[in-house]
Amino acid sequence: MSDSTAPDKTARYQEFAQLGRGGHADSLSFGLILRLLWRCLPLLRTVRGSLAGLVACGALLIALFAIPVINVVNIFWNGVLEGAPLSDLQATMIGLNPERFSSESRLTDPARKEVLRHLVWSVSGLLLALTPIFIGLTYWRIWILQRVNQNLRMLMIEKLQTLSLRFHDEQRVGDSIYRLFQDSAMVTQLINVLFLSPLESISRFIFTLGLIFLWDPRLALLLLLAWPPLLYLGHRFARPMRVGFRQAREANSRLTSIIQETLAGLKTIKAYGAEGAEQDRFAQASQEAFRAAYVARNRFVGFKVLTFWCVGLALVSGIGIATGLSSADAPLYGEQFMISMGFAAANSGVWNLGFYNNFKDRFGDGAHSQHHLLDLWGTVQDVATGLDRTFELLDLETEVEDAQDAVSMPPIRQGIRYRDVSFGYEAEKLILDQIDFDVPTGSIVAIVGPTGSGKSTLMNLLLRLYDPNEGGIEVDGCDIRQFTLESLRKNVSIALQENVLFGTTVGENIRYAVPGSSDESVRRAARIACAEEFIEALPEAYNTQLGERGAKLSTGQRQRISIARAILKDTPILILDEPTASLDAATEHRVLENLARWGEGRVIFLITHRLSTVRRADRVAVIRDARLAEWGEPQHLLKKEGGIYRRLFEIEAGKNRPQRPANPSAREP
Amino acid sequence: MARPFQEEEKQSGLAAAQTIVRALRYVRPFRRDFGIKLALLLFSFVPMMLLPWPTKILVDHVIRGIPFGDQPRPYPFFLEPLIQLASELSPTAVLVWTIGAQFVLLVAIGAFGIASRERDSANSNGIPQGWDTATRTENEANSGFSLVGGLFGLLDYRFTMKLTQKFNHHYRTQLFGRIQSLPMTSLDDERIGDAVYRVMYDTTAITQACYALILTPLASPLYIFLSVWILGLVYGWVSPIIFAGLAFMLVALVPTLPFAGLQRLYASRSRRAGATTTSAIEESMSNVLAVQSLGGEERERTRFDADSADSFKQYRLKILIDLITYSVAAVFGAGLVIYVFLYVGDGIVDGLYSPGDFAVLLPFFIGIASASIELGALWIRLQGDSTGLNRVFFLMDAPSERDVDPDSALRPLQDKLEIQEVSFAYEAGRLTLDQVDLTAQRGQVIALAGPAGAGKTTIAHLIPRFITPDLGRVLIDGQNVAEYSLDSLRSQISFVFQETILFDATIADNIKLGRPEATETEIREAARLAGASDFIQALPDGYQTRLGRGGGKLSVGQRQRIAIARALVRDTPILILDEPTSALDPETEQKLVTALREASQTRLVLVIAHRLSTIREADQILFVEDGRIIERGDHDTLMNLPEGRYRHYINMQTLGIDPPPPSMTL
Repeated sequence: MSDSTAPDKTARYQEFAQLGRGGHADSLSFGLILRLLWRCLPLLRTVRGSLAGLVACGALLIALFAIPVINVVNIFWNGVLEGAPLSDLQATMIGLNPERFSSESRLTDPARKEVLRHLVWSVSGLLLALTPIFIGLTYWRIWILQRVNQNLRMLMIEKLQTLSLRFHDEQRVGDSIYRLFQDSAMVTQLINVLFLSPLESISRFIFTLGLIFLWDPRLALLLLLAWPPLLYLGHRFARPMRVGFRQAREANSRLTSIIQETLAGLKTIKAYGAEGAEQDRFAQASQEAFRAAYVARNRFVGFKVLTFWCVGLALVSGIGIATGLSSADAPLYGEQFMISMGFAAANSGVWNLGFYNNFKDRFGDGAHSQHHLLDLWGTVQDVATGLDRTFELLDLETEVEDAQDAVSMPPIRQGIRYRDVSFGYEAEKLILDQIDFDVPTGSIVAIVGPTGSGKSTLMNLLLRLYDPNEGGIEVDGCDIRQFTLESLRKNVSIALQENVLFGTTVGENIRYAVPGSSDESVRRAARIACAEEFIEALPEAYNTQLGERGAKLSTGQRQRISIARAILKDTPILILDEPTASLDAATEHRVLENLARWGEGRVIFLITHRLSTVRRADRVAVIRDARLAEWGEPQHLLKKEGGIYRRLFEIEAGKNRPQRPANPSAREP
Repeated sequence: MARPFQEEEKQSGLAAAQTIVRALRYVRPFRRDFGIKLALLLFSFVPMMLLPWPTKILVDHVIRGIPFGDQPRPYPFFLEPLIQLASELSPTAVLVWTIGAQFVLLVAIGAFGIASRERDSANSNGIPQGWDTATRTENEANSGFSLVGGLFGLLDYRFTMKLTQKFNHHYRTQLFGRIQSLPMTSLDDERIGDAVYRVMYDTTAITQACYALILTPLASPLYIFLSVWILGLVYGWVSPIIFAGLAFMLVALVPTLPFAGLQRLYASRSRRAGATTTSAIEESMSNVLAVQSLGGEERERTRFDADSADSFKQYRLKILIDLITYSVAAVFGAGLVIYVFLYVGDGIVDGLYSPGDFAVLLPFFIGIASASIELGALWIRLQGDSTGLNRVFFLMDAPSERDVDPDSALRPLQDKLEIQEVSFAYEAGRLTLDQVDLTAQRGQVIALAGPAGAGKTTIAHLIPRFITPDLGRVLIDGQNVAEYSLDSLRSQISFVFQETILFDATIADNIKLGRPEATETEIREAARLAGASDFIQALPDGYQTRLGRGGGKLSVGQRQRIAIARALVRDTPILILDEPTSALDPETEQKLVTALREASQTRLVLVIAHRLSTIREADQILFVEDGRIIERGDHDTLMNLPEGRYRHYINMQTLGIDPPPPSMTL
């Protein structure tokens, strides 16, 4: 367990929720970006074998085909277009007899045409053969990247599920969706931006630089001259780009939230004619999202154009110089070495058309890899921003978690005790203040009190949906924080006040907490909850799909499904939060009768306003103004003069029936 | 019943073509912008026609030292004046001037040659994306593109991105509005994620399709024409190269045709799987209280795992189909390239062209070929978009509840509300309401009572036309509500639902949802009537307290009271409350009932309730069972019916209030 107190966490969660609302300043420095990317490495663990295989395949292909590819250009320009003889290696490579094509001082026209044909056929043959390999490798790569992304999504959803309600009460659903989908997708870029691309570009650059050195060292220097302005631009643009990307992500995340919230509350919006206002709100958020994306992307593209200018300047100058050298038949610097690489030693080591075009290609390659590295730097800003948002979520401290020495909860024998339990979202405003009572097994406790007095919260603490700020809940004298969360929740079932049903069948909804339970037990639970009758009247009974394609249930029916769900779980502790509020009296009566038979030997908590329900309880807890105002047997409390319970009872029984206003003949003129 | 979110997974070629062509209609509001974009695009062709020549000059005249005029082929007429000037210069001067020209081109359009490394194009394609349709389309929504870079490219890019965004904004806002106006019964909670997906990620297909449909057929032929013309001027009508280039149109079209159906299928599956995943996460986040308290984490996780993995898989398969499609086309294309290489190579060997010409012929060939591919591949490239379009149009076409003339305003209720012989069924064969008849006067409190599932809520839903009767009608002062605009009808009714929905805004904002102009005094007064003012004032920020997601920090009863205040502040002639007091304690309930009585003096109040204490205050009680109103009258009248169902129902409830039975266990 962590050392910060529970209300601190509320503050932290509020701060987190605020992040998505656009109050976040840029906090990523270069070092942090690297650390962030580094932190993601463990995410690659599950795919490291595949990854290594993929990289090995790629490297193998490059190793096999790098030198032939360099030679293709040379053969075409020197051999075919200029008629210069090929080197032995070149001739062999395209399947020609070296003796005929490398010994002559100049190739005949038919020989040139033959070289051309061989060249064309070998290149296309090679490409054809490589196509399926290329498709296979691409598919493999996508699979790996998706796996990494899937792993991260699962980590995030686990985190979201373990965060307590203290977090979820603050968090917008749309923000979670956006983080889970869009932000987490950045992890697929990780391998790319951290390894493959820099590795490729840097090695390409160094390799090219070395090659160009062979042509002319001065030209290699020229290539290096592009670096200072590039580095300056990289430095100057990093922060604005990052801020831009961050704001774009936040704006899009807000937009997602607005859609989700509007649609979730659509019924109310329609009923109150608020569609127009919602439409405006959406349009505004959509504008903002586009505006933010516009700013971010503009910076990114501006950055790319500027860096291309730097690189292009070096390129144009280099080509100019090379043209001059070629026209003057200037000597090549590293002639011997180049011949050993397979280049034909045409015109004895001076610049010629073949070398000129080769140079142009290599020089372009070198400049391009510089540009690419800078591009990558721009990309990293967005990747880091996305991953940062991912880790913001993953780094949140959970409030409710298993203690290190947590044990499985044993079957309950004696009872449950609330020991001076205090709870509040904020330390100064307590929702529950020093609640203290003791419930033996086999009893039914009714919890009554004005709305908002904290009755539901009292029960949520038992499930550890929150932890109390002070005090604790004990089962058989043992604090529930010493049990594993899983085992605790397995011992408690709850029928919620808001009857949440999921978009699946009636049967699946009942067995939600116990997947795979038998049809017979589902039916039994439905019977106890008095739901059997109406379920069986549905078109496909238990297999009726709920929601869009399926049946519409009334609130009372939903409530009974939700009770059946709690019963099916068959736990020693059962909580019914306003179980019968939407039931008519007859049904309520039957449900409670059934529960009484079923409930022997368990602890049942009933939160209710209906005193017809309360009177069936063994104990009544009256909560008022965050405190336990009254506690005892119902008939006992009923006798207490001026007692709260007694007064509630009187109201319901109609003794304080308010005067009816004079007959409403008053109609507006 | 309509099945609003169930478009067909498979789409025929013809249907896809119709869908795509329909997208063109959506360009209308943006005609001018598309015109400008087209002009910018066409203008960027000009520098592209110039790009190959500096390289030829460098190779032929500087390196190979051929004097101007001695090269086998002339320069095009538009370059002649420059060539005239250049022929008087030394090779070094030609070199310097040519390089200078390349510098200018670099700054202006970010290109100085034809190889990919000598050219930049302004686009944000480098912005990272993930590997499923949703993350890809977020880039599409903001896509700007220009064929060139440099200053012109930047300008072009900015304009295009603005246009894309304006366009997307327009249509996603429209779709959002459309979803809001779907009949109440069609958008259930399970579909929220799907709707989010459609608004955010499917709408971009409209822009993509429009760009492709407008720019490609107009720009590509022009590009081909320009290239062919220049080639013709310089090299005579080099028909083999031109024909080979044009043949790419067929290469891009014919071999890909058989794949179109598959592409649509997998694109559609990928979008659908993405939407399902969004729904999965939306549902488990919205219901996190239920998930955690029922121990459903594992289950939700497994479901999400499967859904998410499936969405990745469908996207992966879609890419695989893409790869195969384009590879097949590429094999045919390779044949054409081989042919051109042989033709040009032989031509140079035979002295027809100089090696420098190769640097011109090849790019022109590539240019013609790419433009032809653009045209030929138009169909296959639109397949993915057609599935997105299909999903968008499906919702746009779904029957909206606001199809009545918006100007036909209903006069406010003065006298009475009537429901005449209304029958209604959610699904065929099972009547939910059966010949319901009721008349309610302004100034009355009407209560609907009866067992759960009897149809009380459905009756209430008839009045604001959340549902439309299959038979019979609803009249307000004799006006059939079906014939008047929804806005005028609903502005007369305040409806408090059984499940309270609060928004992530302040309490005050939540209360004035239906009447944004309400003053602070009015808000406070409504809250007071609803019995909410005490607890609101006890909150640290009072009415300005931000509620957080779904008002989760308030108790259900508190939320219910805010919802009631929201209805009261609107001050409408009709007030409908569906079990407003179920989560209220008896004391609060009594206050509320008194408040409702007061409110009813100038209004018609319809209340659905189980509690006797709420019901008995009504002027008229309608007892509903099995979709029919079986008893009506005030409390005393109904209690006096000897075999009355209402009497029996009430007795069941009050039984427990009388002397407690001996056993205290349940």
